[in-house]
Amino acid sequence: MSVLEVSNLVKRFGDVLAVNDLSFEVAPGEIFGFLGGNGAGKTTTLRMVLDIIRPTSGSISVLGAAPDRRQSSAIGFLPEERGLYAAMSAIDTIIYFGRLKGMDTATARARGMQLLERFDLADRAKSEIGDMSKGMAQKVQLATSLVNQPELLMLDEPFSGLDPVNQGLLENEILRASQRGAAVIFSTHVMQHAERLCDRLLLLRKGRKRFEGTLEEARAQLPAHIAVVSNHKVTALPGVHSADPVGAPVDGWQEWQVELDPGVQPESVLEHCSTSGIALRRWNEHRASLHDIFVELVGGEGVEE
Amino acid sequence: MMGNVLLVAKREFRQILALKSFWLTLLILPAALALGPIFTRTLGSAEATRVALVDLSGTDAAAEIEARFNEDADRETLRRLSRHSQRYDLDGVAPGAPWTQHDRWYTAEDIDAFRRAGGVEGAVEKLQSASPEGVPEFEPESPDYTFLAAGDELAALDREEFSNAAQALFEADSADAPEIIVRIGENYPADPRIDLYSANQPRPSFVATLQEVLTGDLRTRLLAQRGVSGADAAAIQGAVPAISVTTPPPGGGAREALLVRSIVPLALSYILMMSLMLSGSWMLQGSVEERSNKLLESLLACIRPEELMYGKLLGSLAVGLLMIAVWAACAAAAAFATQGTISDMIRPALEPVSSPGIIIAILYFFIAGYIGISAIFVAIGAMVDSMSEAQGYLMPVLLAILLPITFLLQAILAGKGGVMVDLLTWIPLWTPFAVLARLGMGIETWVLIGSGILLAIAIAVEMVFIGRLFRASLLSTGQKPTFRRVLERFRARPR
Repeated sequence: MSVLEVSNLVKRFGDVLAVNDLSFEVAPGEIFGFLGGNGAGKTTTLRMVLDIIRPTSGSISVLGAAPDRRQSSAIGFLPEERGLYAAMSAIDTIIYFGRLKGMDTATARARGMQLLERFDLADRAKSEIGDMSKGMAQKVQLATSLVNQPELLMLDEPFSGLDPVNQGLLENEILRASQRGAAVIFSTHVMQHAERLCDRLLLLRKGRKRFEGTLEEARAQLPAHIAVVSNHKVTALPGVHSADPVGAPVDGWQEWQVELDPGVQPESVLEHCSTSGIALRRWNEHRASLHDIFVELVGGEGVEE
Repeated sequence: MMGNVLLVAKREFRQILALKSFWLTLLILPAALALGPIFTRTLGSAEATRVALVDLSGTDAAAEIEARFNEDADRETLRRLSRHSQRYDLDGVAPGAPWTQHDRWYTAEDIDAFRRAGGVEGAVEKLQSASPEGVPEFEPESPDYTFLAAGDELAALDREEFSNAAQALFEADSADAPEIIVRIGENYPADPRIDLYSANQPRPSFVATLQEVLTGDLRTRLLAQRGVSGADAAAIQGAVPAISVTTPPPGGGAREALLVRSIVPLALSYILMMSLMLSGSWMLQGSVEERSNKLLESLLACIRPEELMYGKLLGSLAVGLLMIAVWAACAAAAAFATQGTISDMIRPALEPVSSPGIIIAILYFFIAGYIGISAIFVAIGAMVDSMSEAQGYLMPVLLAILLPITFLLQAILAGKGGVMVDLLTWIPLWTPFAVLARLGMGIETWVLIGSGILLAIAIAVEMVFIGRLFRASLLSTGQKPTFRRVLERFRARPR
């Protein structure tokens, strides 16, 4: 059973269509990347999953039920805009959020201390948030979202504002939660993290889903580009969309920049060359990065490699 | 739901208790009340004004003036002794003494009798020997004026030199020097001019008494010049009506009784106002912190906006009740420490608020008032992003709440009811203050119940609308809450 099921979700704010007919599912243990430019509808969707705002139409199922605060004990959430009570100590903050999620104080304290130790903040457990650095406070906030060992962990732009060391720490926590069986959804502008972590991706543009699937499936969305050196004219090969010569031929060998038709696998073209006796001196496939895919499907605005 | 409300309330409560300003404010009121009387006593002019009479006329005018002021001082002492005896039922201590007779203006004979019986010292001695335990001691007040012997050097000066010498004495500002000097010229009574020199503006009562004594003296002399014998002239001047004075016993007069009965209700109303303003502003700070620190979304992922709002209200209410409990404890400690002096005053003041029904009504209106007004602070806190922005909304709201209450309290202190007091009783924003303040004057049961029901309905409606505003405003950071937008949010259903 999916931890989260979203079906035909629509959200309007007046005349603005923030989310448009969005459907997706996230399974236990899956890391699900929620990618889109600014204003794509990522945060709005996450807020609807949390029942902070209600959808205009469509349905959401969290752990088999409609979104409700009673499920907060099974959900962990790290918002994009972060902040904590400046006068509260780190451990009290974690306990407070643990208690709001239905935990008892002792368990929340024990788990909170474990998390602070993992985050190298055990000696600052009793320090007030106002006395901590921004990075430390962000780790405390991450701990508040993990303290209840959630079945659904939702992280909205979790890497923003973190230094590389803490980004690594966060990646480990995401993997740890996934290995524990939690469904993890995170939105990000940083494609490296999504490429490294996500089992599946969803690309949003202006509230509408542009793609959902694995990274490989995403790559298949873009035509493959191959650098080929052959003594044969490759433009006539089946599956080739275009082939542009690069430089002048040398002893009859010409370099070509080949673009395949969408959906055509480079392997099938290579196989055809092999069976047809077309001689090749070079065959370099250029695999599309997630950045390329994002730019192609969503647009380049607001994306970081 | 209740668990989350309590958690939020506990956090709000602890956050406010962690503020230094909370403890300062909490202790300022009892400290001010304790120090007030000390300051009043220190600042008040308890010392008698020093007067020197320089009589160059050779008559007994100066002696008469001094005698008259001493007589007035003794009359005032008698009046105070009489009130004391009446208040503590001590007339049996000295049945024949003038101060155990309460129904007349004390005459010269009464004052003579009082002096013969040892004056104030004699009266205090009798009271001390016979007063039951718990009755405070009578504390005599020093007279308004004390008379110094005039120096011969002043008497030797002519009028102009006298004026300069008097000014020099005043400027020296010595503790032994007179503050008022009266010069009776050598040609008095033929020349009836009297020179009065004073370091400060003399009290009108001093001038009036001086004038009255000297007028009597001059008239007696004129009567004698016209053939009326000295004894007859004195008898004519001394003819005074025997005035019978009937006053209510201490605390028993309509006005005085009303004031005494209204002390606690008015204090309750005032304390409600003060603690509301204080805890409301602290709660507002907390709300602004939640918005400016961008932690609302984290909270709303765990709890409903309504739970957050009710938690804040409950936390604020707990702070208010704590403040009142501390202030009440301080009052009780003061009553205990003063061995009955204050408790003796408080006892009649507590009478109108001592029945179980009234106590329930006080609690109801207090709590309802707290919730009703705090909700307005919560709404402001939900709409603004900074304290400076909050101040812009807070000031008109505070003025709207406080100004009518100020008029209300003054009207009740003046013993006036009137349309305004009635009107404020029925307008839910001011109902708690008006009802609490009116408990001493007496408030009809139907008004109490009716205004209570209306207040409950108003708070229920307020909660619906402020709940909508709160929910709609929470995540709308950076949006100026214009009047139109606020109205839209009032209408906004959960979305």
